[in-house]
Amino acid sequence: MALSITSLCISCSACKLVCPENAIRVSDNQFTIVEHRCNECSEATGTPQCASICPVENAILDANGISLNPTGSLAPVTFNQERILALKGEIA
Amino acid sequence: MNNDLARKHSEMRMKDQRVQTHPCYSKDAHKYARIHLPVAPACNIQCNYCNRKFDCSNETRPGVVSKLLSPAEAVHRFQAVKKRMPELKVVGIAGPGDPLANPNATLATLKGVAEIDDDVHLCVSTNGLNLPEQVDALAGVGVHHLTITINSLSAKTASELYSWAYFNNQRLRGIEAAEALIEQQMKGLKLASEAGILVKVNTVLVPGINDGESLSALAKEIQSRGALLHNVMPLISDPAHGTFFGLNHIPGPDKEQLEAARKVAGMDMQQMTHCQQCRADAVGKLDSDQSCASKELDSSVATVRIAVASSTGELIDTHFGHASEFRIFDVSESSLALVETRQVEKYCSGMEHCDDQPLAGHIKALHDCQQVLCARIGMDPWQSLENAGITPSVEFAMMNVTDTLKVLAPKASSSCSGSVNKEAC
Repeated sequence: MALSITSLCISCSACKLVCPENAIRVSDNQFTIVEHRCNECSEATGTPQCASICPVENAILDANGISLNPTGSLAPVTFNQERILALKGEIA
Repeated sequence: MNNDLARKHSEMRMKDQRVQTHPCYSKDAHKYARIHLPVAPACNIQCNYCNRKFDCSNETRPGVVSKLLSPAEAVHRFQAVKKRMPELKVVGIAGPGDPLANPNATLATLKGVAEIDDDVHLCVSTNGLNLPEQVDALAGVGVHHLTITINSLSAKTASELYSWAYFNNQRLRGIEAAEALIEQQMKGLKLASEAGILVKVNTVLVPGINDGESLSALAKEIQSRGALLHNVMPLISDPAHGTFFGLNHIPGPDKEQLEAARKVAGMDMQQMTHCQQCRADAVGKLDSDQSCASKELDSSVATVRIAVASSTGELIDTHFGHASEFRIFDVSESSLALVETRQVEKYCSGMEHCDDQPLAGHIKALHDCQQVLCARIGMDPWQSLENAGITPSVEFAMMNVTDTLKVLAPKASSSCSGSVNKEAC
């Protein structure tokens, strides 16, 4: 069982620096997860570290190909439309 | 310390030689140049005014860089630029991510620069999330100037400025992320000031979020924790940058709003007003950025030092861990020279042990090389080499040494896309 990195990756290295299994390789600026090294962080921390720091939605998939940071999941949680309009000065 | 005393103390410190020769700390130091070395790509938070994906040669702002450098390449760039620009006085690491989310690369680069020039100021710019744990290491390599971006003391306010933070192995969001970040920033600021580091605090001003009361409280607190200088910067909010604020058309402050905010903060903190909001790879004086020119410069004068693991010197045929010697070559566009052969104690006795053996001796022997070529190498030695700023490669396994080195010779870059970036660093 291993996670994988999609082509949405921006090569920021964050995952590589936090992976406790040293499972992330980079070659020609392409980041990949070495399958036999990745244990999905089942032992170390419980939550996959790469997916916990990755800044891009849908860049990391679980073993079944499901996105660990699906669309919208990394957006700010504190804003609603009303607050945005207020900041734009469109409502008081 | 009461307010007047604190202000006098701060005025006194502003006369420090280390302040007077740093173009970001003193308006009068504009004749000195600085270079930002882009060695720190990873970030541990998401600011709502930043988009990590974007990199365009026509735009200039923090968090953006054209090409990342390894620590060895960065030290090399510093050397090359210093030769042409004797007024270069400041070496900073500002990203393009957070330098302290990349502590190995950041510290290795600063150490490398300090080894060849003990006269430059070393600076780091951070969001502060990892600062308390890194203050000693920064002071240890000689960092005298530190910038922490602190936008608010209130978690509620800050939760509108940050989407998430990666802290203690978890992604925190909203208020929780803001609380962790602020606590670390305050702790870090105090520790850094106590360690004798001159701390500048940057605040990105977003009207309606962190102006007014919030800013006044922030200025008071950072003053009491020993910050030297405060830089209230306008939000850059262009939709083309793809940031959350940009895409939602949330405007930055106009001139009056910025001035009013600086006045409020100025009650308690000495204000910096000449910031140009640099890119993470800026080079030159504040008013004349040469990042593009310097890239051409460092590739045209470049010599790379490459180590080769080879049994006879003809083919790249030796496993990194089996090598008892490395041939060290200096390679430039026009020349290829064998510098020497360095003996090492071989440490790997088979697949099972390959990843576990210490290899500090190897790394020491190769410390001045940018690359090492070998037939094979284990994952852990690979990682350790990268952490030390040395790039391993097995891409040329079993190929001819001379032919490979010719392929790897640095080429003078023919052009830099577009004109020289206007300084907005």
